[in-house]
Amino acid sequence: MGVVRILPVLAMASAVLIAPTPSVAQSEVKVGLIAPMSGPWARQGDLMVKGANLAIDDINKAGGIKSLGGAKLKLMVFDAGDSVEKAKNAAQRMVAQEPDLIGATGAWLSSFTLGVTEVTERVELPVLTLSYSDQITARGFKFVFQTSPTGGAQSVSTLPALVRMAEAATGKKPASVAIISDNTAAPMSFAKPMREGGIEKLGMKLPVDEIFTPPLSDCTPLIQKVRSSRPDFLLLLPTAISDDKLCLEKMHEFGLGRGRVPVISNGAHIGAPDLLKNLGKDLLEGVMTVVANWGAKGQDDIIKSFVAATGEPWITQDSISTYGDMMIFKEALEKAGVADRRKVAEAIRAMDTTTGPAHYFPGNRIKFDENGRRVGADVVIVQWQNGVPLTVYPPTSAVAEPIWPKK
Amino acid sequence: MTDWQWFIIDILQAFAAGLLVGGTYGLMCVGLGIIFGVMRVVNFAHGDFMMLGMYAAYYLVTGFGVLAFLGPYVAPIVGALLAGPIVFAIGWVLHRFLIANVTGARVVSAEAEGHYAQIILTLGIALVLANGGLILFGSLPISVQTPLSRESWAIGEVLLNKARTVSFFIAVAVAILLYMFLTRTSLGKALRAAADNPIAAAYVGVDVDRAHRLAFGLGVGITAIAGGLIASSQSFQPYIGFDFVIVMYAGVVLGGMGSILGAFWGGLTIGLVQQMSTLVLPYQLQNTAIFVVFLLIIFFRPQGMFGRVWERT
Amino acid sequence: MQGSRSSLKSHYLAIGAFAVIYLLIALMVRNSYYQLIMTLVLVWATMGLSWNLLSGYSGLISFGHAAFFGLGGYTMTIAFVKWGLTPWLGIPLGMVVGVLAAIIIGIPTFRLRGHYFALSMLAYPLALLYVFEWLGYQEETLPMMRDAPARYMQFADQRVYTAIALVILVAAMVVSLHVERSRFGRSLLAIKQNQPAAEAAGVNVLKWKMLALMLSAAVAAAAGGLYAVVLLVVTPPTMFGVLTSAQALIFTLFGGVGVYWGPVIGAGILVPLAETLHAELGHIIPGIQGVVYGSAIIAIVLLAPDGIYWRIRDYLATRRAPIDTAERVAPSVPILAASKDERPRTSGAPLLELDGVVRTFGGLRAVDGVSLKIKEGEIHGIIGPNGAGKTTLFNVINGFLPADVGSIRFAGGELLGLKPHEVCARGIGRTFQVVRAFPRMSVLENVTIGAFVGAANDAEAKALAYAALERVGLAGARADAIAGGLTTNELRRMELARALAPRPRLILLDETLAGLGHEELEGILDVIRQVNREGGTVAIIEHTMHAMVKLADHFSVLDHGKLIASGPPGEVIKDPAVIEAYLGKKWMDRAQHPVT
Repeated sequence: MGVVRILPVLAMASAVLIAPTPSVAQSEVKVGLIAPMSGPWARQGDLMVKGANLAIDDINKAGGIKSLGGAKLKLMVFDAGDSVEKAKNAAQRMVAQEPDLIGATGAWLSSFTLGVTEVTERVELPVLTLSYSDQITARGFKFVFQTSPTGGAQSVSTLPALVRMAEAATGKKPASVAIISDNTAAPMSFAKPMREGGIEKLGMKLPVDEIFTPPLSDCTPLIQKVRSSRPDFLLLLPTAISDDKLCLEKMHEFGLGRGRVPVISNGAHIGAPDLLKNLGKDLLEGVMTVVANWGAKGQDDIIKSFVAATGEPWITQDSISTYGDMMIFKEALEKAGVADRRKVAEAIRAMDTTTGPAHYFPGNRIKFDENGRRVGADVVIVQWQNGVPLTVYPPTSAVAEPIWPKK
Repeated sequence: MTDWQWFIIDILQAFAAGLLVGGTYGLMCVGLGIIFGVMRVVNFAHGDFMMLGMYAAYYLVTGFGVLAFLGPYVAPIVGALLAGPIVFAIGWVLHRFLIANVTGARVVSAEAEGHYAQIILTLGIALVLANGGLILFGSLPISVQTPLSRESWAIGEVLLNKARTVSFFIAVAVAILLYMFLTRTSLGKALRAAADNPIAAAYVGVDVDRAHRLAFGLGVGITAIAGGLIASSQSFQPYIGFDFVIVMYAGVVLGGMGSILGAFWGGLTIGLVQQMSTLVLPYQLQNTAIFVVFLLIIFFRPQGMFGRVWERT
Repeated sequence: MQGSRSSLKSHYLAIGAFAVIYLLIALMVRNSYYQLIMTLVLVWATMGLSWNLLSGYSGLISFGHAAFFGLGGYTMTIAFVKWGLTPWLGIPLGMVVGVLAAIIIGIPTFRLRGHYFALSMLAYPLALLYVFEWLGYQEETLPMMRDAPARYMQFADQRVYTAIALVILVAAMVVSLHVERSRFGRSLLAIKQNQPAAEAAGVNVLKWKMLALMLSAAVAAAAGGLYAVVLLVVTPPTMFGVLTSAQALIFTLFGGVGVYWGPVIGAGILVPLAETLHAELGHIIPGIQGVVYGSAIIAIVLLAPDGIYWRIRDYLATRRAPIDTAERVAPSVPILAASKDERPRTSGAPLLELDGVVRTFGGLRAVDGVSLKIKEGEIHGIIGPNGAGKTTLFNVINGFLPADVGSIRFAGGELLGLKPHEVCARGIGRTFQVVRAFPRMSVLENVTIGAFVGAANDAEAKALAYAALERVGLAGARADAIAGGLTTNELRRMELARALAPRPRLILLDETLAGLGHEELEGILDVIRQVNREGGTVAIIEHTMHAMVKLADHFSVLDHGKLIASGPPGEVIKDPAVIEAYLGKKWMDRAQHPVT
């Protein structure tokens, strides 16, 4: 009985009575990070926090925000959990309890980002996001900034790049491509322009075009279709590591691996250390993935300190991008000269730089258009070579030459 | 090869995939069949016990490498089998201290025969196990490493994945052994009697509480073996239980509640439907196909494929 | 059923007070995050009420209420995005879609019972989930309407959403209250506690279940629509996912099932608890919030297996009335002194005519070509050894089982093909070998369920029930006792009263005398004779013959499903075939050639 009666009291008390934390001392400037810290996507949130912490350490060690008298940046982490409801609640909590936040980054999964930005837009808090969905910056919002190329844009720039790569390696244009994707929002928007004429325009055929619902229990029938139609390359677009493993192992089993049918994927998970642990380097050799950001040429220093600080073997999109986001906020704060979210948003909107934070984003330029999309955001293509995923495209970022497997 | 030949191969390949996937589904369902089908205990944490089985196999084989001396071919199989007793013990303890409070003879007269309490209690256990798993094991997807999962035996042009094929035969063997245990041995018969009708069993001198603990442990242990087998083909994280629990319930009901063999056939059917539906339907509707077939079978044969004839009075 | 004697008005007062206090707190809260949580509590309470309307009252556990929630949310969203329809109309439209879905789902699914029903319900939202993904609705957002926000239910002030959610919740509470306290709710409760008994007592099971599902779907769809308006983003997993169905169920079971306060209590505690844990612990040790939340649920279940509401109510009840429970007064049986000889002999026309009725189970012919007539006004004993097919014959007559061949005519009309409640409505009542009570209802309520079929309204039903209770000697204090605590004798009487309440022309008694002591037996026999004297026709199954010889006017003997003898008791018991059936051939030989 005791517990029965105390519980509701406690719950109501914690929900109603606890007042928002009083505002902090001036020498600290708070930045939010809202990402899944629990649930099936907890790993991605973890990678984002690692990138953000490294950036904040670097900034604070270098003297903080100079225009604010050396104020230190402080990271506030909010768990977006495993559902849109939890993500939106976390966003509401973030803006209600931390009214002096100057900006935030998040929320990894595009549906979470959609929900979170519905909240932040209404309180005019600038949000930087690495989510791909076109919808995020198609709603006329003024306070969301997408550092990644949108899924649609990635799709448009990827195909010609791949065709060029194939042509350079084999001496002839590829004639057919297969698409296998799951039905989550990111791969769907990536593949949409290709399906709707993009492939045809390049003179290629699409003999296999399959969409599945994750998670798979087995992908024999899917890969069987690739086996029976032998396309020149395969766009393999799952989003979960378990599906990556099933498909790539099945490719190997069916004698299609090791480049007999080159595999190009989308998203950072294909280049994650996690996959190496599950598959081993043999099966990954030559596999490519299209991402929005990756450790690139000229970033040796942060990659080295990231590896040292976190124990991760290399830096992936989620960490480098979040690192860059913190640098954008720093730059904006320096320009704004005041820790105010609207002023910071203004500074981000006005930003046009090829130095500083631009260093951490492919295309090396930070300028956002009126929708909040980053101008010149280009895709990065990463390829597994000898057990490490290396940036091979665009040439300005590449640390290795792409290998297009010859038949 | 001609298109027509490829077409035949596509069909055979999908059938083989369905059969091999279905085998482990079948074993999973047998485990739940003991708890849900025979004991009529609604256990929503069943998928999470399977998750524990997967991690048990992983730590034995890859993580701590206790079984590494057996080599990459044998170790995953032994690991999967050993996951059974480990999860059996966990199930036994949880039943003893928690689940026994809402099951068995003491709740027969309670509202809805105690099912309400069972539903929330096991949902609570599922939450604790999945999130406790996140704390203990981390969020990183992992799998039991074996070369078997990327090699195959060829029968003509049809390729049978080695890991899946081995898992299939082990699943069938474990299911048969369990069936013989439950039908041929006196302990097995006592277990079934206590699970089926606790009051009557108590009259004939069965220690019902003990039998229930054993039956519950057995149920989760069997499913954990299936989980251990899957762990070498699929990668997993602490939340994976949820993906399987629905398949398991569908399999048990499809096979017919109360029938152990039926549960196996139910699981097998689901595997076959899942893989073969892709020949005619969009791949995306794979799981929709499962539910449609499930509903059709239930409507036309409400007692399931192997269920006892159900009487209304 | 709670507070059946407190007036409706006090319930309205309680709901009203709750709503006003909640609104006042909501208006005082300035923090937009707490405002959001206060809204979500109401949305989930509404969803819990929806689940309670079907599953809480009727006992048919649904794991698939997300189907209606999701359809409500998606209908509103798609109508908004595609046609610019405002949510003010989109939510009602979603409710219509939800009700239609309920009809389509209900028709096939209500054929199933127990676990089969529960799991079939699970299949619908999951199938819908994949279909919506296949259709390309992975992520739909409600466009921001900067020009006329109020027209599109978009408010800068979160408290407006709380107010709207409160209106919907209060509506759902009032609907639930009325269901609980009407014939509707009692019928659902009867189905929940004992479906065969409810059918035999004349409850149209399918109709009430279907109505409950439709109502429940409408409420769920409204909750789903509002949820989408609040979240502004809909995805198939949030709308159709298993978790959505599970939440409705957890909140209700946690707070208290079968009562409209239950889901409100459950959501009121669990939503803020989960959110607080998530907020305070989630980023420190990811996963710890789930562990604590899960443990809290486990602890509460062990302390209050039926939910917090019932636990508190039981606690208050024992404090208020500590003596009430222990007493068990022996009922005073009215002495209806009537010796067998005084009874009017009947020569009435046949009331029930069976002609060549066959019922098989697999290869077993449980009823094998039985033809017999039961005359108006007689007491007709149906006897035979165990397994002779007597109960099966009753089950065929009252519609539990269809006959394979044959006809059954009652007062000139054919009974075969009718459902049990229809048979009951024609004027046939029955009791069961093993008493089928509604254990959580009072004696009076048990009997009232039976009376509905013969009554125009609830008041008349209650009057009939009282009359029947008086007849069997359970009127007065025992009428308010809970059926679960009755003695066998009282249960037999209560069941008899339930069958008698609608004043049937024919009453089928299935071993009503079993397990009774000598005096108790005499008491029941008196009641049966009295009923018969007042014109009721009685068919009674017994396999002990001596009580029957005193009671019955006519015997029919069944053995192995066949009618082997029929006639006045005196003749039938001397029939060699009957003796053989009872004692076996060896004994019959001895009886005919006694060893001297």
